[in-house]
Amino acid sequence: MAVGISNLLQSSAATATPLLLAALGENVVQRAGIVNVGMEGMMLVGAFFAVVGARHSATHLTGNPYAGVVLAVVAAMLLAALFALFVLKLTANQVVIGVVLNLLALGLTGTLYRALFGVTGAFLASTTAALPAYPWLLGQDLLPLLALLGVPAVGLFLFRTRAGLELRACGEHPAAAEAAGVNVLGVRALALLFGGAMSGLAGAFLSIGENHTFVDNMSAGRGFIALAIVTSGRWTPWGCLGMAALFGLAQALQFLFQAQGLHVSYQLFVALPYVVTLLVLTSGGRWTPWGCLGMAAMFGTAQALRFVLQAQGLHISSQLFVAVPCVVTLFVLTSGGRWAAAPAALGQPYRRS
Amino acid sequence: MEEPSGASAPRIEMRRIVKRYGPTLALDGMDFDAAPGEIHALLGENGAGKSTLMRVLAGLVRPDSGEIALDGRPVGIGSPTDARVLGIAMVHQHFTLVPAFTVLENLALSAGRDPMRSIPVRLAAEAAIERARELGWTLDGNARVGSLSVGSQQRVEIVKALATEAETLIFDEPTAVLAPPEVEELFAVLRRLRDGGRTVVLIAHKLAEILAVADRVTVLRLGSSVASIRTSDTTAEQLASWMVGAAPPAHPAADATPSPRPAVDACGSADPRDLLVVRGLCVAGDRDELRLQGVDFQVSGGDIFGIGGVDGNGQSELAEALVGLRPAAAGTVLWRGEPLLRGRGISIGYIPQDRRRSGLALDMTIEENLILSAIEDPVNRRGPFLNRRALRELAAGLASRFDVRAGSLDLAGSSLSGGNQQKVVVARELHAQPDLVVAVNPTRGLDIAATRFVHEQLLAARDRGAAVVLISTDLDEISALCARAAILSFGRLQPFQVGHVSAADLGLLLGGIATRRGAI
Amino acid sequence: MSGAPIRPNGPQYSRLLVYAALAIGVTTVGILCRRTWPGAALHAILVGAVGDSRSGHLYAISESLVSACPLLLTGLGVVVAWRAGMFSIGAEGQLLMGALAAIATAGLARNMPGPVLTLLMILAGSAAGAGWSALAGWLRVRRGVPEVISTIMLNYVALYLVGLLVEGPLQESGQLAQTAPVPAAAMFARLLPASWTGGVPARLHSGVLLALLAAAACYVYLYITPEGLRLRVLGSNPEAARTAGFAVDRIRVRAMALSGALCGLAGAIELAGVAGRLYPEFSPGWGYSAIPVALIGGLHPIGTALSALFFGGLAAGCGNLERMTGVSAVLINVIQAAAVLAVIGVRAWRNRSAGAETV
Repeated sequence: MAVGISNLLQSSAATATPLLLAALGENVVQRAGIVNVGMEGMMLVGAFFAVVGARHSATHLTGNPYAGVVLAVVAAMLLAALFALFVLKLTANQVVIGVVLNLLALGLTGTLYRALFGVTGAFLASTTAALPAYPWLLGQDLLPLLALLGVPAVGLFLFRTRAGLELRACGEHPAAAEAAGVNVLGVRALALLFGGAMSGLAGAFLSIGENHTFVDNMSAGRGFIALAIVTSGRWTPWGCLGMAALFGLAQALQFLFQAQGLHVSYQLFVALPYVVTLLVLTSGGRWTPWGCLGMAAMFGTAQALRFVLQAQGLHISSQLFVAVPCVVTLFVLTSGGRWAAAPAALGQPYRRS
Repeated sequence: MEEPSGASAPRIEMRRIVKRYGPTLALDGMDFDAAPGEIHALLGENGAGKSTLMRVLAGLVRPDSGEIALDGRPVGIGSPTDARVLGIAMVHQHFTLVPAFTVLENLALSAGRDPMRSIPVRLAAEAAIERARELGWTLDGNARVGSLSVGSQQRVEIVKALATEAETLIFDEPTAVLAPPEVEELFAVLRRLRDGGRTVVLIAHKLAEILAVADRVTVLRLGSSVASIRTSDTTAEQLASWMVGAAPPAHPAADATPSPRPAVDACGSADPRDLLVVRGLCVAGDRDELRLQGVDFQVSGGDIFGIGGVDGNGQSELAEALVGLRPAAAGTVLWRGEPLLRGRGISIGYIPQDRRRSGLALDMTIEENLILSAIEDPVNRRGPFLNRRALRELAAGLASRFDVRAGSLDLAGSSLSGGNQQKVVVARELHAQPDLVVAVNPTRGLDIAATRFVHEQLLAARDRGAAVVLISTDLDEISALCARAAILSFGRLQPFQVGHVSAADLGLLLGGIATRRGAI
Repeated sequence: MSGAPIRPNGPQYSRLLVYAALAIGVTTVGILCRRTWPGAALHAILVGAVGDSRSGHLYAISESLVSACPLLLTGLGVVVAWRAGMFSIGAEGQLLMGALAAIATAGLARNMPGPVLTLLMILAGSAAGAGWSALAGWLRVRRGVPEVISTIMLNYVALYLVGLLVEGPLQESGQLAQTAPVPAAAMFARLLPASWTGGVPARLHSGVLLALLAAAACYVYLYITPEGLRLRVLGSNPEAARTAGFAVDRIRVRAMALSGALCGLAGAIELAGVAGRLYPEFSPGWGYSAIPVALIGGLHPIGTALSALFFGGLAAGCGNLERMTGVSAVLINVIQAAAVLAVIGVRAWRNRSAGAETV
């Protein structure tokens, strides 16, 4: 059982890390008033260029795989800069540019992948293209730790510093921010670059951190899940942590169930983030960040409880242990409240008058 | 602390300030002085230039020419930051507060660019809290600004300005959103600021308030200053007549059509010929404050009823309530004795205040904008489809009848000039000969030819027997077109006799003081 | 006032030519990456799209049309929704729901005569797509949920729902994750006999005609009916629509429903015209490609049809390119993206003085 829990934690962490990294970045971006639907593409670009960087480093340079991480961040930030150019300077529609950049990233990575590596489908990189893992980090590399540290860091920045205050003002009431002397467009551009960097990190983790490979469309919708996490996490970093943990756990549970020989369709787990977001949005529910963590803890405890009971020889239907936390979640979500947490000027273009 | 006497050097001197907005001359060589330790009021109608002049001083607007001197030194004020450095702060009519932030956070935001970027929010706002304490206010720092009353929000806005250590404070229509007890509190604050040696400039149009609190008043009219005098040396009537200039004469067109009722009965008893009857109408604005507090009037067929008054007294709320776009909090709007419902037995032509925002779809073609209301008419349909040819002809006919100058009707609405855009709106709303016409500032921003055209259309509608309500901030326009009129101020209507009212009385009404002769 | 006078309602043909040229330019760059001589590669694309004198034109054109069909219908869906001011990204999910409903209908009504079953399938598909989209519309109108987010969420729910059902109750007995096939009698007829295309059966099916009809119907709806006019006014200026007394909320939901119906129809037609079965990777992202297709088509039904034909040809051409030279067909996404960015860039450059947002 101890092994089971440890595996559960490990795979949860692995699943949740890219989600959390990207979500933290998007949290900052949305707090500045922009909806960046293109995170998916930035993550994909990060994943690809991480492999490129690591390989290049292994064959031509010192062999330090972190070169891949750096290249991933740079590449994703370039994409973010493109977004900023079109949305902030040319006042194009944020949604359109986000969707278009996703397509661009998809095509670019796919084409370059085949062009540079000459193969189709997945390829297994040599170990020099992987990030070093540390046993004291539960066998993970540094990025999950970075993600966890990022939560209080982003929180401190947004809510305790003046710069964070100005950024939040850009997202709530850009005219007031401008009147106070804040360069709204400049702040938004910086926020976008940060969001891009985080998405790049998330992508790097996906390719050289967790899977040690790159496949077509590797991000597979994780960018959109990150969007869901920001929304249902109520635009706070702790909320993002809670929701990312929840979704990570949910995905990890699926593997666990399979290993146990239980056939619960994996789609149910994978679809969870999207359904939860829809429910949160529909109910406009008041949702505290600690509630998210609590929810994740509840799921975890339910599973641990099940193991304990099994060891005791009691066989209670496993569906119950998934269903009960789900029901509680739904109940919390649908209890009404104000749709108060969204930055007021989110998604609205701002023009300096 | 200096005595506010005429002999002390002026703190602010503005000389020959000129500002044009396209064809409109907002400031026509304006001069303005303000001394330290003085409450100086700026009085004038809409379009007189009060706001523009102060926006120049606050660095929000660059003048085309003119000089500004501060304490005798010439200065240039290119941005709000420059103004702040010079010790000038403005408390706006529309607050620049972030509703979702707390009071402390709002104060911290405007506490100026500080080199130490990570100062915790509380420290940055401490200076502001100090100021508030000086004025005798206790602010709840952790209250969300969005949940505060308008008066409290204004206090935050004022404290924000004070925290910049400004010596010159400009208040833009501060009493517009306040209840009477809050107005008194505000005046006490203004006096305290003045006694501390600051210069307080008050943009206002309410005569009683100006006489109550200001030391000096400068009256503006059409972009220049017509008088500058100590309030103790003048009266409300004199100020009023300066503000309005000569009373506009009754236009022949208004006299030529025989008014169906005797001259004295402007707003009084009901008449069976009345089509539109409004009683006790109370309408709330967007922030739930009551904008109209019991409006009564009636309009019969073949009559143009004018509603004048300074902007911001509830004009657009009244118009929207009349056409059914805004619910009435209380009171009734009756048409032929039945509650007025758009589309049920009544056709309404509504010319909204802001043609770009609510009148036109600028991305769509001129033709489409012209026929927008005509699509309901079965004549223009063929079963479930539109009869494009009929609509085409209709549009072409409208364009020529209403003199819309456009290269082609397939061009986008945005390619028209402002005057032609308004003609499109007028054409669309009036061509089907509606029973009720509501027009809000229909000639704002138009040149003389276009203005005359719109007036002719309104008169034509009247001559057809429609009931026309003309809401306008332009008193000349009302005098030209209306036989009966009233001024909207303080949420109520004060009737007056077109062509038979003195400039003084008109100014008093605009300034919110009922005429001595009572409701005529 | 902007420079050149704008004519909003024409499909703007000249612009499409510009974009075609741009696409060719980008393709060339992409191919150069691979160090292949661009001329040969471009030729391969052209041959794939429209054929050549050697192998005949019909097969290639058939492939182009077949590729264009789902793009056209989903593109029309985007047009209807976006013209009403609803930025729906849900074409993908609505397409999948349409295919799901169609295959379910095929399963339930197996014994119906062929053409009747086909009709039922496309009706079911349209209804399912409409409902899926109207849900997002309702959420926006009643609860203020931004449709951008809700439609993306619904896309993934639809994707996983399809996966769940295809591997579960709908699965054909056997090892493969796919449903039982649609009865042959209910499939859309193939239009080209094999003899015309050199013995190789061409995939052109009558569903393509239906798609073209839909484009015409869309045009009629948007430009020749009062509801269409009101819809476009709402998208152009919601405040003006409100002032004119339009039932704004009702129009929004109706636009979403129509948009969804078109995308659901796309799924049903793909199922009954080409695929014959439903499986998890049913859509290669048609719903997402629909957005560049519609944007380049100027959000106009006829323009979208032309744009879809162009991108369909490009898709077929890129397929041939991959076969001949090994340059990946994934390149097409880059071309679509670059084309849209170019559109926006050019438009923004021209509207520098005007303040409006450029889409």
